[in-house]
Amino acid sequence: MTQTLRRSWLPLVLVLSSLPLLAQQSSAPKESDFLSRIRRLTVEGRRAGEGYWGPDGQRLVFQSEREPGNPFYQIYLMDMASGDVSRVSPGMGKTTCSFINPQTGDVLFASTHHDPRSKQLQDEELQLRSSGQERRYSWDYDPEMELYVRSAKTGTLRRLTNMRGYDAEASYSPDGQWIVFSSTRTGYEGQLSAAQQKQLETDPSYFGEIYIMRADADGSGVRRLTTVPGYDGGPFFSPDGKRIIWRRFDERGVIADVWTMNLDGTDQRQITDFGAMSWAPYIHPSGRYILFASNKLGFENFEVFLVDIDGTKEPIRVTYSDGFDGLPVPSPDGTRLAWTSSRGGGREGQIYLAQWNHQHALDALAAAPPKQKATKGSGQ
Amino acid sequence: MKKAPIFVLLALSVAALSAQAPAPATATGTRAYVETLASDRFAGREAGSTGEQQAGDYIAAQLARIGARPLPGRQDVFMSFDFTAGSRDGGSQLSSGSQRFSAPADVVALSFSDDGTVSAPAVFAGYGIVVPEAQNFGYDSYATLDVKDKAVVVLRYFPEDADKETKSILARYSDLRYKALAARQRGAKALLVVTGPRSPNAGQTVPITFDTALAGSGIPAASISGKAAAALFGSRSIEAVQKELDSGNPHVAGFALDGVTVELSTKLVREKRTARNVVAFLPATSPVTGVQKPWIVVGAHYDHLGLGRNGNSLASGADVGKPHVGADDNASGSAAVLAVAESFAHRPMRRRNLVVALWSAEEIGLIGSNMFVNAPPIPLDQVAAYFNFDMVGRMQDNKLAVQATGSSTTWASLIERANVAAGFNLNLQPDPYQPTDVATFNQASVPSLNFTTGAHLDYHKPSDTPDKINYEDLDRIAEFATTIAARLMESDQAPQFVKVEQSSQTVNRTGVRVFTGTVPDYAADAKGLLLSGVIGGGPAEQAGLQKGDVIIEIAGQTIANIYDYTYALELLKIGEPVKVVYTRGSERRETTLTPAARR
Repeated sequence: MTQTLRRSWLPLVLVLSSLPLLAQQSSAPKESDFLSRIRRLTVEGRRAGEGYWGPDGQRLVFQSEREPGNPFYQIYLMDMASGDVSRVSPGMGKTTCSFINPQTGDVLFASTHHDPRSKQLQDEELQLRSSGQERRYSWDYDPEMELYVRSAKTGTLRRLTNMRGYDAEASYSPDGQWIVFSSTRTGYEGQLSAAQQKQLETDPSYFGEIYIMRADADGSGVRRLTTVPGYDGGPFFSPDGKRIIWRRFDERGVIADVWTMNLDGTDQRQITDFGAMSWAPYIHPSGRYILFASNKLGFENFEVFLVDIDGTKEPIRVTYSDGFDGLPVPSPDGTRLAWTSSRGGGREGQIYLAQWNHQHALDALAAAPPKQKATKGSGQ
Repeated sequence: MKKAPIFVLLALSVAALSAQAPAPATATGTRAYVETLASDRFAGREAGSTGEQQAGDYIAAQLARIGARPLPGRQDVFMSFDFTAGSRDGGSQLSSGSQRFSAPADVVALSFSDDGTVSAPAVFAGYGIVVPEAQNFGYDSYATLDVKDKAVVVLRYFPEDADKETKSILARYSDLRYKALAARQRGAKALLVVTGPRSPNAGQTVPITFDTALAGSGIPAASISGKAAAALFGSRSIEAVQKELDSGNPHVAGFALDGVTVELSTKLVREKRTARNVVAFLPATSPVTGVQKPWIVVGAHYDHLGLGRNGNSLASGADVGKPHVGADDNASGSAAVLAVAESFAHRPMRRRNLVVALWSAEEIGLIGSNMFVNAPPIPLDQVAAYFNFDMVGRMQDNKLAVQATGSSTTWASLIERANVAAGFNLNLQPDPYQPTDVATFNQASVPSLNFTTGAHLDYHKPSDTPDKINYEDLDRIAEFATTIAARLMESDQAPQFVKVEQSSQTVNRTGVRVFTGTVPDYAADAKGLLLSGVIGGGPAEQAGLQKGDVIIEIAGQTIANIYDYTYALELLKIGEPVKVVYTRGSERRETTLTPAARR
């Protein structure tokens, strides 16, 4: 759940792409090789993103700025048969990064609605927008962000974390028993050195690390899985539930790569090595390959890529559209892809949906050359 | 012909899809409607023609079959109105001293001229252009002239040799209607227009264009031949005078044509005809008390270009004068409206009254829908929404444009929900100022939507035939619109109307006098100008451009949209090659295009 990145980079991306830059002049491969019947799924609201499927592919949970009076994302559930959309989150404050429990249908998300300043922050943001100003959106890693779950059965909302720091970007294991998430809590506990304090003020995401806990947790029994300096976030379980995939930033927060590890944090392996910002990984239900986003082709141009599960091959480009394409999430049966894109024009992203050509993905992987080593710092 | 295999494929894939989908909206589908309306027997359904009458009768019969009734207080479903179907010069004359000139060779009334006879001294006022002071540009052909009670002689178009920026501004104020207005406001008694020797169509009179506006220019106004102009200019060389003006220098003044008094008599014969809107309604199934704005209107124009004689036809070669059967434009939209009506007729519950409207005289200026709105048979402030269909029969690659979405904040949510199941690749366009009847209802503050699959190579040609219609997707569009309308039908609440500011860049072709032979895809939302085709033998085809190309630059002007393109065309010179940069697929290419003259 790489919400944070999308927030912080998208506006800049789009400002730059309004320059008459030409897309890469790649000749042979095309978007239509992988994606067919492409269409915009979300329409309402200023923007929407991060669509995650329910286990039967009949529901999609996503975040969208469409709540009247609230300029921030709230969480919505779409019925893929009837088109009905209902809000899952409380409507107040900021939310991000939702996920559906594959067993119970409960909806997990991060929210700040308990923050008494929520209404005030909403009004300030609305005022800023109505004044015609556009915030150079930097996602604030609000330390009020806590994990909540909305029960599918009873409709009640339960708080899962209670720790100062940004707790978000959470997802369930396939058996619904575990939650993996990202938190900046180490930036708010104990004594920080002067350098650490400065780091917290300028870029709190630096403290982002991956944690795991039981799905029925009450805030205790949380286990930390990563310790490397720099932002670790956006974790998901593999389809067999045996590994975790996430993205790791370098200390400067500039270069990111996709990694995988065991559930106890051992055997951490780097999958991508573009020397660019590669993030938002998600494993196809076949377990054969990973879909992710990268700005390898230009700082302002995020595209979806594909790489084999072990990262032994050179990644393959999937999307070929101007602007932003990222946060790819295949449907549970592997035949459809939901992703976030600004291809519809304007500055804001919306969720798109297409048929996914799994066979072509396998063929392309088989034909792909071995992974090339990145020349660090190039392409930036 | 080349398209046939693709067409079959599309049809198959859609059929496969709809096998899983709920039952289609209509039992009969749209094919029968389109094939009947676009058959030769209705001869292109020109407003006021026998063919339009017969098409109207057919539609009325279908409405009766569906179960729709005449509107409350009306005897039948026909709403007749008179309109101006065309104009011709009825014998205008010009004399100066002993020389006499007559129509049509040397003097032709402008299409908006008042009839009248005027005798007045002649004054030459350059290009007759006045840029409003608010533009802060400083160009006024009348700055040093007294034209009160004079006959003003002006050049057509705008200074030929001015720099691009100057031209782009002056072009906007060079419309002949605007020139006539400027002259009249300064007390002129008549306007004479000369096409200068240094301009395209040099020395020719201006053809009478089709002008349905009721308001005339308030003064007699006519174009005159180069020969007649020479008589007025006497020993002066018009070419030399024009050359001096063509620099665009605002300080080059006009002058009195010494000793020349002209007598101008103008006569326009306007042909009045009667056309019919066909309007019926399905009453709500329960009392509408408590329902906000208890009316919904669905509509489409059913008229088309007849034999293509009124100037809107794009037919060429052997096709000229053949029936323009208009299968896509707009038998397809008419069929969609009937399909939506039929679907609602079968629903057990309608909380609102559904008006089913088939407009006439759309092609000549949205006249039918305006007649309805100007003398509404139902209170317009009680209309919750208007749905329009214009050219919905040529869907390609699942792409559907929905226009006027800015007219209410409710649309996004309704469209999103309906499209989850419908699955169109939607192109949403907030702008309600579209060249179709949706604009009429938007002007009347009714939240509106227009559905269209966009322009194509057969647009306004006899080749827009029923065999090229994509019926499966046409049915899907009708069903999609029905779903949206049904959500409104079920709600007590009406959508809130939002007034969209009209862009100052609204496409206006009055300044465009060059012909490039490009067919823009008006439904596309590409960065640049996506071509839905090129006209055979035209400059674009000769330049190697083809369907699917996206023009991103012409003559040094970058093109982001249709408005930029229209604007850039104003600056082109006939016969002067310009560089065109375009993309084909992901490849950037360049070519040279030589514009030709538009008549």
